[in-house]
Amino acid sequence: MIRTEDIRKEYSDGTVALKGVTVNIDKRFTAIIGRNGAGKTTFVRILSTQLLPTSGKAFLDDIDLIREPRKARREIASIPQEAMPIGVLTPLELVKMYLIARGMSFKDSHETALKALDALQLREFKDKPTDTLSGGTKRKIFVCMALAANASTIFMDEPTTGLDPISRLEVWSALRMLTGNIILTTHYMEEAKELSQDVILVDSGRVIERGTVDVLLSRFAGLVRAESYTPKPGTTRIGGIYIRYIKSSEAEEFLHSGFNIKGITLDDVFIKHGVSLES
Amino acid sequence: MVSALNLKFIFLLAWYYGFNTILRGPSYLVASLSTPLTLLFLVYILSHGAFVSYAVVGGFTALISTISLSSAGDAAFLRLQLRFQDLLVATEVGPTDYMLGLTLAYLVFSLPGIAIYAVFGAYLHLFTIINSLELTGLLVILVIATASFSFIISGLIKHVRNVWGIAGILSIVMTVLPPTSYPYTFLPNWGIWALSLSPTTPTAILAQGIFSLSPMYPIMIVILLSETVLFFVLARYLTRWREV
Repeated sequence: MIRTEDIRKEYSDGTVALKGVTVNIDKRFTAIIGRNGAGKTTFVRILSTQLLPTSGKAFLDDIDLIREPRKARREIASIPQEAMPIGVLTPLELVKMYLIARGMSFKDSHETALKALDALQLREFKDKPTDTLSGGTKRKIFVCMALAANASTIFMDEPTTGLDPISRLEVWSALRMLTGNIILTTHYMEEAKELSQDVILVDSGRVIERGTVDVLLSRFAGLVRAESYTPKPGTTRIGGIYIRYIKSSEAEEFLHSGFNIKGITLDDVFIKHGVSLES
Repeated sequence: MVSALNLKFIFLLAWYYGFNTILRGPSYLVASLSTPLTLLFLVYILSHGAFVSYAVVGGFTALISTISLSSAGDAAFLRLQLRFQDLLVATEVGPTDYMLGLTLAYLVFSLPGIAIYAVFGAYLHLFTIINSLELTGLLVILVIATASFSFIISGLIKHVRNVWGIAGILSIVMTVLPPTSYPYTFLPNWGIWALSLSPTTPTAILAQGIFSLSPMYPIMIVILLSETVLFFVLARYLTRWREV
């Protein structure tokens, strides 16, 4: 289980990325969602021992993630945001190198890498330089590293950003094969819904919502989203769209008033906070 | 210190990143050879062959410096663009393992060029067993010094767009200006000391002494070793491993 207490991070340029995050993370899949710049990556980089917080505490079970990084690194694997494989190396070489970096022997790393490549159906690409592979396959190589690492806690920072829908499905399928607890950051609500038992919504360096997808959606029970491209009374503007949450029984009436009516999705948990911020 | 190093990772990174880059990206190799070979050609033409021995002996130094200093761009690219360094931070690899692995990779990458210069040197009857061993030792120290300097620079680069420009400037300033292709005795005393800020200069001066092309300048070994230790220690703390 990961436990944090009042984690704060202020960068040297004065940017305050985290303003006191206290959470317990103990589910198999946990998604940290938030807008760009919300603090997701900073939080995950601190938990994965890549970045020191300005203050606060973080533990993985009884390991102090701030003071005992070496001990922690035996238990975790972390795939950074926008990581790309070295183009001249092959998937087999990259996975082996990652395992060697984690302290595995040459022999074991070779066998484990091949098994992981097999599991993710990457065997046919194993000896091809990665700069010849598709974007989805490149991302799967990193999932393969995490799979082969067999770590108890795996951090995946925006694992599917920039991928097409098919590649995203492939990566999701690969992520489900990982053992251990997985903490992933994303700004795709669909991804959070698809993969996570627990969702942490972060905005402006703070946790603003927490719960299972069902619990978060239950707050919108009986509501629908009314959208308009022109200003309407009682709406709040997000970009060029004017939004209002209404009872589903009012949908017909709003439809006649020029609104589009949308069903509630996990996006709305996100948007609702955006709305309140804009207001 | 040695027992704490992940030697398996260091050698694997050196082999994969050095050797496979030669095999799968030969254009990089040609590019890295172009400056030292061009200098050799120009020295041959302009000196009517008189300084070719200087350019061949200095060519080893220039080649190692060019490749190691261009690694500033490479290391920054690996950190900023590919996030390779971030990937390794949460493993058992430390910054020293990473630096040594990449440094050795650049040494492997330099081997074809070293072989070309060795052929030139053999043709000019420059080598003895003693001076070959001394030169090898010098080049190993130089690759550590220049690669460490590169890691310092790469740690200071914040945007990948600045990477290649800075690496190119460094490569020229630190390999063309030092006495890699002319007798260091041509330089005024203050010039020697000013250029000695680059580890290429003491290496080139010592190489000229080892091959009896110019008088030996023993203090340069102290300069070179001091710079190597200083740059390595600084690089160890400036590689932005676990960021603050």
